[in-house]
Amino acid sequence: MSTPRLTAAQLDLAYGKARVVHDLSLTVMPGAFTAIIGPNGCGKSTLLRALARLHRPQGGEVTLDGRSLQSLPTKEVARELGLLPQSPTAPAGITVRDLVARGRTPHLGPFTPWSAADADAVARALHATGLKGLADRPVDALSGGQRQRAWIALALAQETEILLLDEPTTFLDIGHQYEVLDLLHGLADEGRTVVAVLHDLAQAARYADQVVLMSAGLVLASGSPGQVLTAQRVSAAFGLPVTVVPDPVTGTPLIVPSRAPAARTVHAVDVRPDVDHTEATLASTDSHERTP
Amino acid sequence: MSARALSLGAHIRSPRRPTMVVAAAAALLMIIAVVSLSTGQMPLPLSQVLRAAVGVPSEGADFIVGQLRAPRVYTAALVGALLAMSGALLQSVARNPLASPDLLGITSGAAAAAVTGIAVLGTSSSLALAPFAVAGALLTAGLIMALGWRGGIQPLRMVIAGIGVGFVATSITTFLLTRLPERAAGQAYLWTVGTTNVRVWNHVVIGVVALAVISLSAAWLQRRMRVIEMGDDLAGALGVRVPVVRFAAVGIAAISAGIATALAGPIGFVALVAPAIARRLVGSGAIALGASAVVGALLTVVSDLIAREMLAPMQLPIGLVTAAIGAPYLLILLTRLRGSL
Repeated sequence: MSTPRLTAAQLDLAYGKARVVHDLSLTVMPGAFTAIIGPNGCGKSTLLRALARLHRPQGGEVTLDGRSLQSLPTKEVARELGLLPQSPTAPAGITVRDLVARGRTPHLGPFTPWSAADADAVARALHATGLKGLADRPVDALSGGQRQRAWIALALAQETEILLLDEPTTFLDIGHQYEVLDLLHGLADEGRTVVAVLHDLAQAARYADQVVLMSAGLVLASGSPGQVLTAQRVSAAFGLPVTVVPDPVTGTPLIVPSRAPAARTVHAVDVRPDVDHTEATLASTDSHERTP
Repeated sequence: MSARALSLGAHIRSPRRPTMVVAAAAALLMIIAVVSLSTGQMPLPLSQVLRAAVGVPSEGADFIVGQLRAPRVYTAALVGALLAMSGALLQSVARNPLASPDLLGITSGAAAAAVTGIAVLGTSSSLALAPFAVAGALLTAGLIMALGWRGGIQPLRMVIAGIGVGFVATSITTFLLTRLPERAAGQAYLWTVGTTNVRVWNHVVIGVVALAVISLSAAWLQRRMRVIEMGDDLAGALGVRVPVVRFAAVGIAAISAGIATALAGPIGFVALVAPAIARRLVGSGAIALGASAVVGALLTVVSDLIAREMLAPMQLPIGLVTAAIGAPYLLILLTRLRGSL
């Protein structure tokens, strides 16, 4: 494994006086897929923005290759590190190709002409996201999943080794969610460092190499999905009793909330937070068939 | 998110090649300019008009075209282009089709400063007044940005602040005009609605220089502004220093509107309408400086022709004509935005 490039040390992040993240340290695994998970408002997005130099820390620092991110020129950072925010706005009428082309911005000066290298980068990004056939379509006319891939293609055209994505699967149906996850996993396989804020814990467990579980501005645990996603930690982070069973497809942790209407509960589970249910058998998933 | 509801050109469906649009609009501009130069009480052969229009001696047309019609037509075109670029920049910064130097009170501020210049210097030469107008425009822009600021530029706050500041500026202009002696009354039109009547070659020279400088500096920002239109975070992640670019854009927009005002007074609605037409023609909600400039020039040249000929020999101020064209657009825009205001 190569040496880490992006790290955060004793990071304090705040909006005005409201502190969001406190004394957070994190080393992003290089060439791997890292998922940041945690309850709403725990500071996931803020952390991601700080990792991308968009949020100036009140204390501590984010370093890229050992140099403080704040000390580096914006443009230089943008050649190493890309960020796809939660809800970017596509200009009306813009085509997929033109949208993706804007990812080349950090490589272009105000009057630099468009080069063959730029066109190649855009073509590669369109290819990687399976959007080649849609390149000349207006973004407005795409489906939700295609649109999200177009935004990812923009970030790919930026050709950064590190790619940060804020909830890239939100607002997508389950099919499109997995489409995006496959794409991101593929990028990590090619050696890129991918960091994504995800909401679905099972997806994080299936796809991520490193899971960072946050709660109330702190990292509760960071490591492989199996190490991090224990019933005790997840219950504590989300304030919801859960049980953890092996994912029937991948064997990775699958978080099942223990709460349900009493009348529908067919399988009593021990919800004491100190008991780890990772050992539960798969048979329990089948017994949840409902009677009409 | 209101930015989405207000996103520029939300109705646009089919993108076109911007260069083709600009070329076609420029060709139309040339044709209308020639028509305008040939139109008037004194009929002249086209060959003479064309020669006089580019400064080649041509007997009969030298004075009428060379000294009377050409400077005003060219000034109208330049002022239109300057105003349109100002509007395009501001609309992109505010991500709001209402942002234009006239609605934001910037042209009124420039006019008030120019009239102050007349009072102080006792001259009404555009060259002497240009610094006043530019200073007034920048001051107004700074004021509305400060008033419309709440943890970032708030477009609607800015527009409301601009309307207020614009009224104050207009009252200052009116007040000063009543205090000025003699010719001031005759100039009241110029500094309250804008006019292209009686322009001279000096106006054209100032306009050409200003347009060259402003086009270059605006084009220098355009690539980054197109990224900022997609959201501040994405722009930041793409290496754009968002606040710097934004302030530069507002500054250039104010200077552009200031010079336009020094040349022809606070002509309304061109800066509001031209970028909207340009977006529709290009088929994209992204900032289109070239197309906006050409459309702006087209609008003012046509308006100037109407102002000159509709009630000839009486001449209307061009600002009345642009208002007649622009006010209905503003009403349509307000109806469309009603839900999001």
